[in-house]
Amino acid sequence: MVKAKIILVVLGAALAVPQVLAGSTPEEDRKAMVEYFMQMFPDVPFEGFVNGQYALNEDRRRQWESMQDFPPYEFAVADGQEMFETPFANGKTYASCFENDGIGIRQNYPYFDTEKNEVITLELAINRCREANGEEPLKWKKGAIASISGYMASTSQGKPINIKVPDDPDALAAYQDGKEFYYSRRGQLNFSCASCHVQNPGKWIRGDFLSPTVGQPANFPVHRSDWGEMGTLHRRFAGCNTNVRAEPLPAQSEGYRNLEYFLTYMSNGLPVVGPATRP
Amino acid sequence: MNRPLLTIGISLALCLPLAAQAGSKEDFNDVYSKAQSTHQDAGTFQWTVTSDRLKAAKSAADNGNFEKAAAMANEALRLAEESVAQRKQQQEAWRNVAIGN
Ligand code: HEC
Repeated sequence: MVKAKIILVVLGAALAVPQVLAGSTPEEDRKAMVEYFMQMFPDVPFEGFVNGQYALNEDRRRQWESMQDFPPYEFAVADGQEMFETPFANGKTYASCFENDGIGIRQNYPYFDTEKNEVITLELAINRCREANGEEPLKWKKGAIASISGYMASTSQGKPINIKVPDDPDALAAYQDGKEFYYSRRGQLNFSCASCHVQNPGKWIRGDFLSPTVGQPANFPVHRSDWGEMGTLHRRFAGCNTNVRAEPLPAQSEGYRNLEYFLTYMSNGLPVVGPATRP
Repeated sequence: MNRPLLTIGISLALCLPLAAQAGSKEDFNDVYSKAQSTHQDAGTFQWTVTSDRLKAAKSAADNGNFEKAAAMANEALRLAEESVAQRKQQQEAWRNVAIGN
């Protein structure tokens, strides 16, 4: 009996080990992915990937360039700055919650908080800051939160995205969870994020032109003509899930935060260009 | 072979869909709660089309139309089962397509 138990334990360990060994590191994943897209699009310089579909499609880029003189997010960013600088009822401001007073830090989000054991996105940090100062949290997907996060991104433009996965089993698990979400097929249409953004970027799907994974989060929050306003990355996740008839997760749920962690890590080294415009 | 038993079996089997069609409240409740719990089992792999059918089933039942309610709940159950199967299948399958595994 004891012997049987030992055999089972040994067997269990033997089965568990190859999985751990097989797991590539985040940095290995990122390098392999960048290499993959560089081969797929040899004419696009690395930094060009921040422009998503505009990096791959001449017509779309020309339309987009003509919009840049009067970008439609300008007012929202100005609103965001005003809200950012206006003190809460207790006299403090958002600056008190962030490193460097919240200026030029967008490239470090999301990060893994090893004390709270969770991924902290910029939007989550904004609402936690409000709550810590006795204010009601904002709605997650659009409106004030997108404006504030848009303003904060605008102060970080050009800074290279710098997501870290610390040497910590929980941080690695969060990254892995996001990666698994990204590659798992979902919804009645049976698509994964990767089905569209890894396997088919540069192709049309109905009226849309697909962008590659690398570079995607760099331009958020984003003003979409489809929305007629700014929206956050999790709003986009929800849209992409719904399009394949998969039930979206709630914005800022653990699942979406982990997804953002993985996705943004894949864009390490690319400059922050948000807020930006998309169709 | 036991003929009478077989006959009873067959007629029972034929009766079942009829009973479902007759649309009693109990039949609906059974299927509906099974569909709901299967939908929950899908975890983060739930399908929107399942949620839609569940809502339609609920509102038909609220209006006393148990025939339609049961039909919608049955569809929801079938879709929910497919989503659970997808969840199971993807548990390992995602690794085969991941860049770096
Ligand atoms: C059926 C195809 C499809 C699937 C599956 C899909 N998307 Fe998308 N996604 C699109 C389309 C179309 C767009 C708009 C065009 C573009 O930028 O690619 C888009 C845009 C995006 C953008 C914005 C890119 C930018 O440059 O602003 C992000 C981020 C994104 N998707 C993430 C995801 C994630 C994460 C998943 C999985 C949860 C996912 N997508 C699944 C089709 C898809």
